[in-house]
Amino acid sequence: MDGDVVLVIVVATALVFDFTNGFHDTANVVATSISTHALSPRVAVGMAALLNFAGAFISIQVAATIASDVVDAGAITPTVIFAGLVGAISWNLITWYFGLPSSSSHALIGGVVGAVIAAVGTAAVDGEGILGKVLIPAVLAPIVAFVIGAIAIIIAYRICGRLRPGPVTRGFRLGQIFTGGMLALAHGTNDAQKTMGVITLALIANGNLPSTGFDVPTWVIVTSASAIALGTYTGGWRIIRTMGTRIIKMDSAQGFSAQGAGAAVILASSHFGYPLSTTQVIAGGVMGSGAGKRISAVRWGVAGNIVVAWFLTLPASAAIGAACYGFVSIFGDGATGPVILSGLAIFLGLTLFAQRIRRGQPVPQV
Amino acid sequence: MTPAALIGTVAATLIDGEALFDTAVASLAAGVFVALTGSLAIYGFATAAEMQRVGRDVAAVGAGALAVVASLAFMGALGVGLYLIISG
Repeated sequence: MDGDVVLVIVVATALVFDFTNGFHDTANVVATSISTHALSPRVAVGMAALLNFAGAFISIQVAATIASDVVDAGAITPTVIFAGLVGAISWNLITWYFGLPSSSSHALIGGVVGAVIAAVGTAAVDGEGILGKVLIPAVLAPIVAFVIGAIAIIIAYRICGRLRPGPVTRGFRLGQIFTGGMLALAHGTNDAQKTMGVITLALIANGNLPSTGFDVPTWVIVTSASAIALGTYTGGWRIIRTMGTRIIKMDSAQGFSAQGAGAAVILASSHFGYPLSTTQVIAGGVMGSGAGKRISAVRWGVAGNIVVAWFLTLPASAAIGAACYGFVSIFGDGATGPVILSGLAIFLGLTLFAQRIRRGQPVPQV
Repeated sequence: MTPAALIGTVAATLIDGEALFDTAVASLAAGVFVALTGSLAIYGFATAAEMQRVGRDVAAVGAGALAVVASLAFMGALGVGLYLIISG
């Protein structure tokens, strides 16, 4: 009975994480379209929500990686996963509060790994899987996106640079609708699956699914897709401002190039089953499209803050995940610990939102 | 064995370098192709409109044809991306 209560709490927490993932990462998908006026904010966010929902149904490669290649599925419990999720959500909210586009994916992986280490030590962590499927791609992906963004903007300026600006700007804005759509779809295929992977892991840990040869249940896919779409529609305007206007002052050709680079990297990575950070990829594309025009066009101070947040994400969320597991385990193996921690987390979350609302809604006038 | 060679050997054991390389190459090819075809389509449409405005109809038709071909290639690239994901 206690196990089922914990499982319900884990699934609910995973869906909250999925919501914050959509809420937090909407910025990546829509910032470039909004800042170049290719789409109005409401249309951009609505389109991204719909395509994120659709993208979640397209592929489950990444979910399989999360469920089997990061930690030993047989050695963890729903309580461990719960603690990891709280670690990830906490880090997402902290970086959202400061307007930093950090990686929800790495927050999730870090949180789960930290909780696993606190629970059973490092033996249950698949170091090979984390290195090969998470860390190396995490370093390479933004670099590849940076290079593609830079090449793409050079191509765009070479071909269209001498034409009258009016039709060219309109053309690139139209192109941004397509590349932005692909990006939203790619985001859905990559990010919604992380939650699917975690819920699947919890179902395995609770004995509802076999540890090998499992299929991700349909209800997991539908609820994960819905949560990320809802989060996306709600939107994270603070991060949109950072991504869309603070790294570089973006024109429509740069927006088109950055989105194309991001979509290409994320779609290719999803196809090969790498759980990438969409945030890092798109930020890499944005920086590349700025640097391709002029190195000094990139505000390297802002870019540096973002990179620092990337490096902090895995250890910080792992530390929070481990601390959460330590707190929950004080109350034993039952549902008491997760229930108390959930209550505390809800209270803190509501306090944070109330404080933010009192200070005024940080929606930029775009 | 030198430390660098040891690190290389360990990394080669742990990391599926071929899959990573394939991912990077596929990303690069797709990103560059989308930028190239999208830019050519915009160039074609903008030039066709300009040529038509100044009365150079043959040049306008040529630029229009380039725009149509590039647009089809651009949409085709998006279609291939979708197909790869769905078939994955």
